[in-house]
Amino acid sequence: MVQNHSPRHWFSQFGITDELIRSVLSEATRHGADDADLYFEHSISTAVGLSDRQVNRAHTTIDLGMGVRVVLGDQVGYAFTEDLRPSSLRKAAATASEIARHASAHPPVGPCKLVLPDYYPVSRHWSDVDLSERVPLVRKWEAAAFDRDPRVHKVQVSLADTDKHVLIARADGTVVGDYRPMTRAFLSITAVDGDTRESGAYNVAARQDLSYYDEARQQRLVEHSVDRALRSLDAGSPPAGEMPVVLAAGSSGILLHEAIGHGMEADFNRKAISIYSDKMDKRIAPDDVTIVDDGTLPGARGSINCDDEASPTEKTVLVDRGTLRSYLHDRISARHYGVDPTGSGRRESFRHPVLPRMRATYMEAGSHSPQDIIRSVKKGLYCETFANGSVQIGAGDFAFYVRHGYLIEDGKLTQPVKDVNLIGNGPKVLESIEMVGDDLEIDEGGWTCGKDGQGVPVSQGMPTVKVANLSVGGGRQ
Amino acid sequence: MSDEGLMELAERVVRYAKNLGADEVGCTVSEGTHVTIQRRGGKIEQATEATTRGLSLSVLCDDRYSSNSTSDLRTEALEPFVKRAVDSTGFLEPDPARRQADAELCGRGVSVEQLDQDDPYWHQRTAEDRSRYAEELEQALVSLHTDDVISSAVYSADGRSHTIRVMSNGFSGESEGAWFAAGGEMALREGDKRPESSAYYAQRYFSDLPPIEEIAAEVRRRTRERLGAGPIDTGVYPMLLPGRAAGRILGALAGPMSGGSLHQGRSCLAGKLGEAIGSKKFTLIDDPTLARGLGSRPWDGDAIRSRPRTLINQGVLEQYNIGLYHSRKLDMPPTSGGRSNWIIPPGDRSVAQIAAELPKAIVVTGFLGGNSNGTTGDFSLGIRGVLWENGEPTQSLSEMNVTGNITTLFLSLTEVANDPWVYGSVRSPTLLFQDVQFSGS
Repeated sequence: MVQNHSPRHWFSQFGITDELIRSVLSEATRHGADDADLYFEHSISTAVGLSDRQVNRAHTTIDLGMGVRVVLGDQVGYAFTEDLRPSSLRKAAATASEIARHASAHPPVGPCKLVLPDYYPVSRHWSDVDLSERVPLVRKWEAAAFDRDPRVHKVQVSLADTDKHVLIARADGTVVGDYRPMTRAFLSITAVDGDTRESGAYNVAARQDLSYYDEARQQRLVEHSVDRALRSLDAGSPPAGEMPVVLAAGSSGILLHEAIGHGMEADFNRKAISIYSDKMDKRIAPDDVTIVDDGTLPGARGSINCDDEASPTEKTVLVDRGTLRSYLHDRISARHYGVDPTGSGRRESFRHPVLPRMRATYMEAGSHSPQDIIRSVKKGLYCETFANGSVQIGAGDFAFYVRHGYLIEDGKLTQPVKDVNLIGNGPKVLESIEMVGDDLEIDEGGWTCGKDGQGVPVSQGMPTVKVANLSVGGGRQ
Repeated sequence: MSDEGLMELAERVVRYAKNLGADEVGCTVSEGTHVTIQRRGGKIEQATEATTRGLSLSVLCDDRYSSNSTSDLRTEALEPFVKRAVDSTGFLEPDPARRQADAELCGRGVSVEQLDQDDPYWHQRTAEDRSRYAEELEQALVSLHTDDVISSAVYSADGRSHTIRVMSNGFSGESEGAWFAAGGEMALREGDKRPESSAYYAQRYFSDLPPIEEIAAEVRRRTRERLGAGPIDTGVYPMLLPGRAAGRILGALAGPMSGGSLHQGRSCLAGKLGEAIGSKKFTLIDDPTLARGLGSRPWDGDAIRSRPRTLINQGVLEQYNIGLYHSRKLDMPPTSGGRSNWIIPPGDRSVAQIAAELPKAIVVTGFLGGNSNGTTGDFSLGIRGVLWENGEPTQSLSEMNVTGNITTLFLSLTEVANDPWVYGSVRSPTLLFQDVQFSGS
C-alpha cells in the first residue's frame, strides 16, 4: 500500500515551507481575525476517450494554487492565486485580510501536525499509471458493448482520474495534508432499432486506484449502459399528475440529497432561509426514517479524510428515527451554533471558499422487502435510474429527473417509462414516506453536487422506499 | 512563473512543442481578474478577489491528438508539461479530423471597436467604488423590506479577461473584455415555508446595468410573487415564457443542434435541415459579432472568423452548430461549434397586451430540476410560475412540471412579445406557446 504523501514534502517542491506558511498567515491576520486558513492544492487529471471505434483523444489538466480565507464572525474575505511565489501568496493574504480591517489582533501560532485516518488507501497513484494501461481497458469496454447486442450503434467511452494533493494551514496552528485520488469511467451508448433511436449511459466513480476496475465492475459498466439504451427503445411516458412512487435502492438517494440534504447545510439555517431552520429536535419524518451524511465510507467518491478546513470527517446522523438531530457544519456555522464542526466544510478547489456540503448521504435500511413495497402499490411509478435534481431551500420544493422506470399496476412492474421529472415538497415528502426497504445500496455513480457555483464529488444511497404521493411530469395519455 | 508577456509565452510554447515533434500546435493563454462582494444584514458577508492565469495546449503528432491545460506556469513546470502533452499522443490512434483549419479561414471576424467589449470604466473602478455600490444596492433592497422578510442579500461583481491564441498554422490573436454583474435575493416567512427568489443582471458595460432601485424592486417583486405558491390541476395550458427564463428551453435545442450529437446519432434534429421545426413566429439567430454581447467573440473555437448566422428562419431549420472536427466527421461544411449570442427578434406587442387576451395562461418564471433527452427531444422540467387569468396574476405556482418534445414545442409558438431580455447571452423576448402539458395536482 502506498503511504499517503507527506503534505509538507509534496508542497516543498513548490517552495512552501513552514516559515512561509507562518508569514502568509501572519499577513492574512494582520488586521485580526476569528479564523484564517491557507489551502494549497496541486492536482493532475488525465482522461482518455474513445469514439468512432478509436481511442483518439487524451486530456491532461494540471492545477496548482492557493486560496486564503480570513473569517471575522460570519464575514469572509477570500483571495486565491495560481502563483505560489512568496510575494504572490502574501499579496493574496493581504487582499483577504481587508475584511477584518477594523478587528482586534489575532496573532498566529506555530504550525503543528494532525494525523488523519486513510479512508482511501491506494496501491498506486494514478500519476504512476501509464496511458498504455488505460487504453486497453477502454477498448475492452467498447468491444464488450458492441458484443452485447446488435442494436448497439455507437459507443463512447471515457476513463478519467485525478491525483490531488492538498495542504491546509490554519491560524490556530494546525497543518494538515491529504492525498485524494479519484477515478471515473463512463460509457455512453446509442442504440438503433428500425426507426427508433435512443441513448443510455452508466458510470462508476470512486476514490480508488486502478484495482477498482475488477471484472465484476467492468461487466456492470458495460451491461448497465447497453441495457439502459435498449430499454429506452421500448419505454414510454408515464401519465402526468400525482401518484404513489416507489424509489429503487441505490441512486434514489438523490431524493434525500435534494429533499433534505441541502436543507440541512448549516449556512442556510444560520441565515434562517432553510425550511428546516426551526426544526431541530422536532419530528420531520416517520419512525423508520434515519438519514445520515457520512464522510468515512472506504473508497467512496464522497469520502474525505478531513474536510477542506482541516476538521476531522465523521458519520453525521441528520435524522434519527424521524427526528432532526444535526445540521452539516463548517467552522463558521459550528461557532454560530456552539457545536463541533461535522467535517462538512468543503470546496471545489483553491479558487473557492469553504461551504457546508454533503459527502455520502443515505437512508439507513428499514424492515420491508422490496417486493412487498412494490406489491403494496395499486397504480403508481417505480423509479430506477436518475439523472439530476434540484431544490429551493426556503420553500422546500425539490425535483429530480428519472431516466428510467416502470409503471406499477396492481402491485407489479409493467410498462417501462423514461425521461420524467418528479417534483415535490421536501417536508411533505418526508412525512409521506410509507415503507422503507431492507436493501440499502450505496450508488457507485459519479455524482457531483452543485452549490453557489461550486461542484464537489458526493455519494448517495437508499433502500427501496415508497412515497405516498409525488407530482409526476408525465405526458398526455 | 515567467514574467514574459502572454503572447511571448504562447509563442514559446508553440515553438517548443514543434521542436519536440508536434506537427500542429495550438496554444491559448488567458489572464483574468474578478472581484465579488456579497452583503447581508448591513455588512459584507463575503468578499473575493483574484487574478488568474492559465494555459491550454492542443497538439497533433502524426494525426494523434491531445489537449492539455495547466495553471502552473512556472518556467520549470512548463517544459515537462509540453513534453508530456506531446508524448501522450504516442498511445493514441490517428484522427486526421483533428487537423487545424486552413489559415485563410482563421482570423478576427469583427473589429475590436465593433465588439466593444472592454468598458474603460473597469480600469477606473476602485475598491471604494465597488464597496459603495454594493452598500447602496443593499440599502435600496432593505428599503423595500416588509415585516415578513427573513433575510436579503445583494451581490456585485466585475471582472476582466485577456486571452491570447497562437496556432502553428500562422494564426495569432488577442481578445479582451470586461463584465459587470449585480443582483439580489430575498426570503420571506410564510407559515412553515420560507419562499425565496432572486434577480441577477450582467452586462459588458457597467452603465448598461439597470439602476440600483430597479434591481431591488425586481428582487422584491419576484420574491413576493412566490407567496401562496402551490400546484393547480394537471392539464393543458398556454405557456408564457419570459426571456429571463427562455434560456432553459432554448438550451434543450442546443444539444441536438450540435455537431457532436449529430455525429453520435443522438440528435432529434438529424435530417431536419430545411424542415419546419417551429411556427413562422420562430426565428433564431446566433450572432457572435453583437456589440457589447456577453457571448460575443472575434473567432470561434477553431479560430475561424466569427459571423452572424440564422439558425432557424421563420420556423425552418437552416443551420446546425458544427465545428471543424465534426464537420469533417459528418462530411458537412463547418458552421461554428458553439453558440454565442442567441437572439430571437422581438415582436410588436407587449406581454400585457398578449396576456389580456388569454382566459388562462401559465407564466413560467423559472425552472426547478428536470432534463431533456436530445436523442428523442423529450423534456420534462419542474417549474415555478404564476397563473394569469385575463391578464391578471391570480395564483402563484409550485410543485408542477412542464412536459413536451422540443421538436414540436416551437410549432405551437404563436406570438413573440416586444420585451427582449438583454442581460445574458440568450436574448429572447417573452414567448407564447399554446397547448402545453403541465402536471400538478
